[in-house]
Amino acid sequence: MSRLRVSPLLFRRIHKWVGLILGLQFVLWTISGAIMALLPSDAVGGHGGSDDHAAAIVWRDALISPASTLGSVPIVALSLRQVAGVPVYEVRSRDGIMLLDARSGRLVRIDEALARAVAAEASTAPVRSVARLPDSNLEAREHQGPMWRVNFADAANTSVYISADTGRLLVTRGDAWRAWDFVWMLHNMDYVGRTSFNHPLIIFVAFGALWLSVTGFYLLFKSFGRSDLRWISRRRAGSM
Amino acid sequence: MAGIRWPLVARRIHKWLALLVGLQVVLWTITGFYMVAVHIDIIHGDHLVRAAAPATYKLADLSPPAALLAEHPGAREIRLQRLLDRPVWRVDTAQEAILHDAASGQRLPPLSPEEVKRIARAIYAGSANIVSTRLLTTAPLEMQTRKPPFWQVEFAGWNRPTLYISATTGELLARRHLLWRIFDFAWMMHIMDYEERSDVNNPLLRIATWSAVAMAVSGAWLLLWSFPKGRRKRVA
Repeated sequence: MSRLRVSPLLFRRIHKWVGLILGLQFVLWTISGAIMALLPSDAVGGHGGSDDHAAAIVWRDALISPASTLGSVPIVALSLRQVAGVPVYEVRSRDGIMLLDARSGRLVRIDEALARAVAAEASTAPVRSVARLPDSNLEAREHQGPMWRVNFADAANTSVYISADTGRLLVTRGDAWRAWDFVWMLHNMDYVGRTSFNHPLIIFVAFGALWLSVTGFYLLFKSFGRSDLRWISRRRAGSM
Repeated sequence: MAGIRWPLVARRIHKWLALLVGLQVVLWTITGFYMVAVHIDIIHGDHLVRAAAPATYKLADLSPPAALLAEHPGAREIRLQRLLDRPVWRVDTAQEAILHDAASGQRLPPLSPEEVKRIARAIYAGSANIVSTRLLTTAPLEMQTRKPPFWQVEFAGWNRPTLYISATTGELLARRHLLWRIFDFAWMMHIMDYEERSDVNNPLLRIATWSAVAMAVSGAWLLLWSFPKGRRKRVA
């Protein structure tokens, strides 16, 4: 084979071969990008449990002081909030998280009924099913720890995730998000975690795609000639 | 099929669509390459800040949080936070966040510029000096998703590292630096929303992406004829 020179032929060869090797991913990038542009971001959502769901605390009841039940245990974090109408102290110590009823000091466990009650603040649709997860699944991957998944019987198949430790609403997912997440996986090429877009595979393929697009752009200037204009005029004459 | 030269049809589709979206495809691959090549943790400025050592508190030293409820009947949550090494109660209402000294229960006055500087220096991982400290009441472009007021503290450095600190709670809201700003520009070019840099559903992007799909598919189609066996390919 003759020595490679900087010429349209060289660019065409690069364009062809990179296209052959990485073309499938390039097609997937355009398709997944187009679908993400199409899926309305409001319906996709996925910004997690927001404070919008949190209601003001019901202060009718006299609240105990957290020190009265916890004594001198050193704590890392403490929060007075409300879980489904019950004022609670959420206490973090070196040993983990504890929820205490702020009226009685009794331990609060986030059971299924409480999880349903918290989820009801996010959706009025009937509940289809409830499941307890020992740790997050792919949909709730930004969160850790045991959680309840409350599935609603609505058009979007909404699932609400509630922490089994704190009773906080973690995240809401629906079918629009699920479709988005699948094409986002195709886009970021992280087929296991679906999260990272900085792994070696995508860096390598993106570098190749850069060659594909730059050589293609160059070839644009070499690909239009008189024949293209003739094609137009022929079409206009109706001979095609 | 008789009469129709499919390679020619595919080539024309590919060429003309490339003429339409070629420049944007080049921009997509350049900005995409930047976004995958520079790790998102660097973009987020994780290296600009140091994690605070976890502190423990004794409840006996703290005022009871429930005592603040009379003052803030709309409270949704009261939680323990740290402000310059002292514990504070942060009261969240639907509208705002308010700080009280956790020891005395007294409401804290707004942060002074000196306190903000001390907070910024405590958070910032580098040793550079603070170049400017300003209280902003309108959000700059790089903070447009956040509600002002907040403090903007800029440090000396080639990448102009900037910390944004909440004027109400003293919390770190955001870290900005040159690589983040380039990323944000790349993101704008990538999603073709040149105003807000956030609308991923804009009509321009939708038209461009579907055109790119057709261009890419016609290009893949062309591959069928691009590797002829034993003879030079014909030029359309």
